[in-house]
Amino acid sequence: MTVKIQQIDAYRWRIPREGDMRTEGLIFADGKMIAALQKEQALEQVRNVATLPGIVGPSMAMPDIHWGYGFPIGGVAAFDAEAGIVSPGGVGYDINCGVRLLRSALVAAEIRPFMAQLADTLFRNIPSGVGSERRDLKLSLREERKVLEQGAAWAVAQGFGEKEDLHHIEAGGTLPEADPELISDRALERGRAQLGTLGSGNHFLEVQEVEEIFDADTAETLGLFAGQLTLSIHTGSRGLGYQVCDDYLKRMLQASRKYGIQLPDRQLCCAPLTSPEGRQYLAAMAGAANYAFANRQIINAWIRETFQQVLGLGPGDLRLAVIYDVCHNIAKLETHLVAGRQRRLCVHRKGATRAFPPGHPETPERYRSVGQPVLIPGDMGRYSYVLVGTQGAMTETFGSCCHGAGRVLSRHAAKKVARGHNIEAELAARGILIRAAGRATVAEEISAAYKDVADVVEVVERSGIGRIVARLRPLVVIKG
Amino acid sequence: MSGYRLLAHTADMGIEATGASPQEVFVAAARGLQAMMFSRAPIAAVREVPVTVHGTDQAELLVAWLGEILYLFEVQQLAPSDYIIDDIRHDTLNGRVMGEAFDPDRHPIEREVKAITYHQVRVWKEKSGWRARVYVDL
Repeated sequence: MTVKIQQIDAYRWRIPREGDMRTEGLIFADGKMIAALQKEQALEQVRNVATLPGIVGPSMAMPDIHWGYGFPIGGVAAFDAEAGIVSPGGVGYDINCGVRLLRSALVAAEIRPFMAQLADTLFRNIPSGVGSERRDLKLSLREERKVLEQGAAWAVAQGFGEKEDLHHIEAGGTLPEADPELISDRALERGRAQLGTLGSGNHFLEVQEVEEIFDADTAETLGLFAGQLTLSIHTGSRGLGYQVCDDYLKRMLQASRKYGIQLPDRQLCCAPLTSPEGRQYLAAMAGAANYAFANRQIINAWIRETFQQVLGLGPGDLRLAVIYDVCHNIAKLETHLVAGRQRRLCVHRKGATRAFPPGHPETPERYRSVGQPVLIPGDMGRYSYVLVGTQGAMTETFGSCCHGAGRVLSRHAAKKVARGHNIEAELAARGILIRAAGRATVAEEISAAYKDVADVVEVVERSGIGRIVARLRPLVVIKG
Repeated sequence: MSGYRLLAHTADMGIEATGASPQEVFVAAARGLQAMMFSRAPIAAVREVPVTVHGTDQAELLVAWLGEILYLFEVQQLAPSDYIIDDIRHDTLNGRVMGEAFDPDRHPIEREVKAITYHQVRVWKEKSGWRARVYVDL
């Protein structure tokens, strides 16, 4: 089915309200992106989200939009806390999948002789791929429940990192509304052996170099300088989160029938925010989100250990500090100004990042003058970006921004493009060392499978929902 | 003819399965999932695990059935090789999954499947037999 689309300006497109839609669709993209989108089902998904009860403002998509399941990837939708719904499909299976960026006191060029050893040791010390785990981290059921309640704070209390790290994590690394009692035995079982693991697919760990600074003052506030070595961690709540989503989708299918909610796609199943099903999902989701915060915190600690081990330097010389840690699959109750009135909303961000502006009370004190850091990974062969949130995002997108490059090629198509190429060797020739656990991962994750993230962040900046600060290029890529 | 083909999706992948009966379609879909996870790695059928899942219709049963195979792999380390559907009543499926203990050296992972989604899931009858479509999250 074709979806009607109207151009508003160079970077904004409207899907006009029609049929069952309760609001219009709003897509941030350039003309080339929109042309590509019309070949898949993402626009239809933006329209489907617009049919859900209690939606406030448009059903939105960021410029990294692509076809997801239920909600599009890159989707942002806010629902009234009283009249609206919450949908597990609007968060996704990988609850609180997110990105953490670390800065260091190191100049990347000076570390180049150690890069291969760093790549091998990181690959060994940080479990990646299906079924890998560290034998020295065993959780009892009691401890696992504490992880779900306390998130990154649990990890710090166990010696994984510093208290200071918590100041630079979205929500401080703990969503207090989590209730482990609402998480199934099956989810706990899936999560027990997977804490401190990267997973596979598009998850990664990168050693990077700050390639270009676009805003020197903001970069300085973030602790970034040209040529600096940085690290990014991209992972989430692993099997525990997938199971929480799966469990609550089943309940929400029933709840949708119970509350008479019409669904254009079953994956959009949902329940009123005020219903027991809705409240229980949010508390279970918060538990899975806390698991993901703890997961990134533990991996962070093992990165510090690995650098000390390989380079023989102490923490004071390395100064591996958290710049920020953002969620990009989450639903959160937030207060936003809508048509001159403060309203309590449940903002779903599925493949989208919170991007709060300067001065916002939830922006960490260190960054209060510049805005919340927004971390946008690209693909493994090109670059990633660091942005900050803006007032424009607050006004127009409920303080939200893109989350990555967004895929353009299916995995089949990517493998076809990769055929006949030795991707590892080609990357190595460009100074990028890759270590991957899964056989298909490298071919399916080639650069050509993704949009150029530079185009994505350009749309973000030009439409005023984020501001570019720096570009990072990969030196070591660890994949699952 | 029973069989499956893997469907392209921008971020994820789908399975389209065919068969003479719903039972055959469910088995073919499971083979599709296995191919996605393990490609063509040979897996022996040395263990059998009974499976019972529920759903309000065949589409929900399909999601639950494939979800159970993922769960058995992840938690019980069962690399799956063969599948039997004993019966499908309107809200319950009884079946069996055969396989052996997962050994990463002998069963190299092709890709991790996170979950089976309800996105556009469908099981339907055609003139020539039964067909199903389901997308998975990778």
